[in-house]
Amino acid sequence: MWVLLLFLKFPKKDGGTDMIHQMRASTLQTLGLGSVLEIFQNGKLPVTADELVDQVFGQPGHRGSLVISGANGIVGAGKAMQLGSRLEPYGVPIIALDFPGVSDGMAKQYPGLVAAFGTGNANKIMGNIIKYSYDGKGLPEALSAHNPRFLLEAIPEILDIKKEHYKLFRSKFPDIDIWSVTSGFPGSALGVGIAHPAFPHEINKIWEIVEPEPSPSSQLLWALGLIPMPVGDNWSFVLDVLFCGLTNAGTRFSEVTNMPFWKTDKYIRKYLGPNPFRAHDAIGAAGANFLSWSCLHHLSEHYGELFTPSSTFDEKKESGQNWYPPDHFRPVVDWSMNSDEHEEFNAWILGALFQMTSLMIHENRSHLSQMNLIGELCAQFSKGILAVIRRLGAEDARRLVEAYHKLDPLAAKKAWYPEVFDRIDTPEWQQLYVNAEHDGNVGVISINRESFNSDVNTELNRAIDWLISAGIENVIVSGDFHLSTQMTGADTTDFFPAVEDVTKGIDLSYSWSRTARRLNDVFKTSVGVINGKRCLGGYLELMMHCHYLVAEENAGLGMPEVTLPVIPGMEGCHWPFRKVSPEKYPNLLRLLLTGKSVKAKDSVGWLTDFAGPLEEVIKTAWKIASGADHGLKRREVVKENLKDVTKELPGLEDTDDPFLEQARKAIIGCIQDSCDSSLPEAISIQATVSGNFMTTSLFKKGVIGSAYTKTWKV
Amino acid sequence: MKAVESMFPKARIPYGTWGSSYFPAWQTSALSEVNIGQFAGEAMASILGKRKVPAKNLEYLIIGSTIPFHWKFWNAPLIASCLGHRIPGYHMEQACATGLSSVIIAGSEVNSGSYDTVGVLTFDRTSDSPVGVFPERRSYRRTEALVDVWDNFGFDPSTGGGMIATAGIAARKYKIDRSEVDELTFLRYKQYFEAKHSGFLNRVLFPFEILNVQGRLSGKIDDDFGVRQITLQALKDMRELDTCVTAGGQTHASDGMATVLVTSPEKAKELSQKPEIDIQFIAKVDIRTLPGLMPEAPGFAVKKLLQRTGLTMDDMVVVKNHNPFAVNDAIFAKTMNYDWRKMNNTGCSLVWGHPQAPTLTRTLIESLEEAVDLGGGYVLIFGCAAGDVGTAAIFKVS
Repeated sequence: MWVLLLFLKFPKKDGGTDMIHQMRASTLQTLGLGSVLEIFQNGKLPVTADELVDQVFGQPGHRGSLVISGANGIVGAGKAMQLGSRLEPYGVPIIALDFPGVSDGMAKQYPGLVAAFGTGNANKIMGNIIKYSYDGKGLPEALSAHNPRFLLEAIPEILDIKKEHYKLFRSKFPDIDIWSVTSGFPGSALGVGIAHPAFPHEINKIWEIVEPEPSPSSQLLWALGLIPMPVGDNWSFVLDVLFCGLTNAGTRFSEVTNMPFWKTDKYIRKYLGPNPFRAHDAIGAAGANFLSWSCLHHLSEHYGELFTPSSTFDEKKESGQNWYPPDHFRPVVDWSMNSDEHEEFNAWILGALFQMTSLMIHENRSHLSQMNLIGELCAQFSKGILAVIRRLGAEDARRLVEAYHKLDPLAAKKAWYPEVFDRIDTPEWQQLYVNAEHDGNVGVISINRESFNSDVNTELNRAIDWLISAGIENVIVSGDFHLSTQMTGADTTDFFPAVEDVTKGIDLSYSWSRTARRLNDVFKTSVGVINGKRCLGGYLELMMHCHYLVAEENAGLGMPEVTLPVIPGMEGCHWPFRKVSPEKYPNLLRLLLTGKSVKAKDSVGWLTDFAGPLEEVIKTAWKIASGADHGLKRREVVKENLKDVTKELPGLEDTDDPFLEQARKAIIGCIQDSCDSSLPEAISIQATVSGNFMTTSLFKKGVIGSAYTKTWKV
Repeated sequence: MKAVESMFPKARIPYGTWGSSYFPAWQTSALSEVNIGQFAGEAMASILGKRKVPAKNLEYLIIGSTIPFHWKFWNAPLIASCLGHRIPGYHMEQACATGLSSVIIAGSEVNSGSYDTVGVLTFDRTSDSPVGVFPERRSYRRTEALVDVWDNFGFDPSTGGGMIATAGIAARKYKIDRSEVDELTFLRYKQYFEAKHSGFLNRVLFPFEILNVQGRLSGKIDDDFGVRQITLQALKDMRELDTCVTAGGQTHASDGMATVLVTSPEKAKELSQKPEIDIQFIAKVDIRTLPGLMPEAPGFAVKKLLQRTGLTMDDMVVVKNHNPFAVNDAIFAKTMNYDWRKMNNTGCSLVWGHPQAPTLTRTLIESLEEAVDLGGGYVLIFGCAAGDVGTAAIFKVS
């Protein structure tokens, strides 16, 4: 059982204090935005984009501009699109500054903008971008007319040039705020704040922020729907340490074993998620090789051998050549590893990554949840590196690093902090994805992982236990308002072991369903809050187990399992039917058999209990959980067999897709079997059908099965 | 062991860093469909990886191949790229003697002090032989098309005869008896299968999985496909194609690769899993015999080699040859007054096939491994090559 970690005192409106108990600090607090519980207590978000735009860019009528220098580069152009689309409604112009004669990087972004926002809106956004050329020595005279309030610097990674650039701006605009997107320099070297974004820049919402205190600027990023994450002021960034470090570790493994990069890449993808070599090629090897090498080079100057670019990296930096062979030299000889070679792989790759993680934790670079999720959200880690270490345990993790040091003894001399793993049992480590808070009456469980996996399942159970142990009977379950902007459903990589072993699929489904049922069974009142853009599949099944489900009105709710195909494994085939009258069955069948989402505002009464603007959702959830008058009727779950569930969905359009047809039949079968049983029996029935399905040829030919073959059968 | 001066005192073959693919008979495996140079480079990287030798150790690459492969112009540097290590290199070609000659050249490079570590990589694909088109204005056809493997096997331009004819001519010259050849052939098969079943071949041969262009498995190269147990009676029943030459008494074309490292003594200790084993070059000769008598050439080469070194056949702990025709062994035995039962103990190219360049490389690898099993000693390698050439070399394992 958990020890209470934090007792934070938050100011109350009447001048008193509410004691808020937290399993661990909320990541929102790192931005100075309070906790998730506080959002519900206050009935609103902590800040709004309107007020922050006023603070950062000035009041309407006196709005200043955002200048992006190096605007035609990959980062500059991507961020011009991302920020331009968000600031245009507030009348903040984007000044795109670059050398004359450079190719128009922003024009390349236009098709993506059209695809995302439509031609009309894309033109509007582009119409708010003003391009200026400059020679690097002096700023255009006309710039003053746009009242530059903020500079986002995205020029090449040469320290002196950057510093000169800041000087130039400050001499002309003394009050301007400056952030650099630098790929490696610390703020102490640059003398400005840092907002280090992740690739692909036009869509990736993550920014690693370096600043002494949370500023209105970083809070504004949050208010605009982006994901700023405060990090320490160190050389390079969490993402880059992990990604460049992983790539370097991969080259070292390849160098000692001769395994070609393409194959090392596939093993890294299988066991960790990213394929770093392919990623370099996809980004553009010439530039990416240089940037990664440069990052490693700087890191090695401070942290030693652990980061020293391998000789291969030196070569690739010079040549700019791809890591994968060209098409006319597609590999002929396949490679495999025996158990000894697997151990060597683990030592070279995981050992090095674990050491890098120890360094970042030692330096207190970031909230551990953020550090963990940066790898997942920006570098394709299927599980965050802290989650991997946690699963392995401190002793085994240290052993693996020591095994790495036997292979690379120089790496042991610096940047190794084995003692950081001593705290692996603390809530900061154990609750990477799920946090819980309460005020003595209402508990809030917040989930920061967009896809539900076994780690989330385990942490969710611990959060529930923690609240129960504190005597909490009323709970709100929601996203975390920070790292998770949506709930996309189950993490299907967790299904891979089930392809070859039916018991694993059944156990997984049963275990997750039991967790979901606890939201119904162990609390007096539970409220599921859908605060993000969408809630799909497994997450929707989880949330529908709450006594009440409230959602932001435009959130998309769906059960896309039929399109994959997979049988919903968390009771989606019977649980919602047990909460509605038969005339609502067709709505649920449509959801399950078409895979199409429905807007939350169109689902009230048969899937959700309330939908409205986000602030209303927050207020309603709090009213329900705190026992205030909310006017909603609780929909009870029928425990007996449901005899009259529709076997066919009238009006369901025919499909020419035989796979979809078979998938529909399988799901209908599961609906019939699980509904035509008592509630206690249904959990096993649904789990068995779902688990069995994952061994069928239909599943193996589908999206998940294909991904399994592609990533696991290497 | 008699003391004999080494031809390359500063060069060694590090024990256990070698390896060969299996040699599937032509047109029987996925190797029929690949760029054999690319395959060889990638396979060498894999073998070295399994041998715990990072390819980064290599400074120079000598490739040996006799049949043109795609992008052959780019030569050893291209194959080095396929191996994953961009080093310079050199292409060696001397028909069936290519494997041995490549190793000797590598020894020379190391001995001269040019490099500490030289890779030898030999390979050939006889399957679907390339066809060369040669504009020849003096030819009555103006343009000659040549199927590289089969047209060359069938026609020695300097004598006008084919390979198989040399076996018949030599057999007649030495009055070789057909029944002796059948018995000899039967023993060779027995030796091969005994070595295979004992697990000996697993120590020198590496299986490979071949990928198609989509990256999916195209086929496994995990056996000398096409080699099957044969009875003495079946050999006796075979039709004679020329004097003492039957389908069973001659080798078959195959595809494959084989690799060996040659290093300085210090580097050999560093790279070998058993640094206490020392393998030295002793001597090597090539001779050329009279037109059309290729099978007698190896015996003459061995004679000359023994004369030069002062060694005798009794000093040899392992004797192994490339014997495309069974009559080769019978003639060698007669020439050298040596019992053919004492040689080729772990198999030979008569049985496991003949992909040309790597043939004598695999012969060498098997011999060195056998010598280590026997506690060391002199190893005699020899064979014939196109153009009535005989080649022979002695190595010392201690």
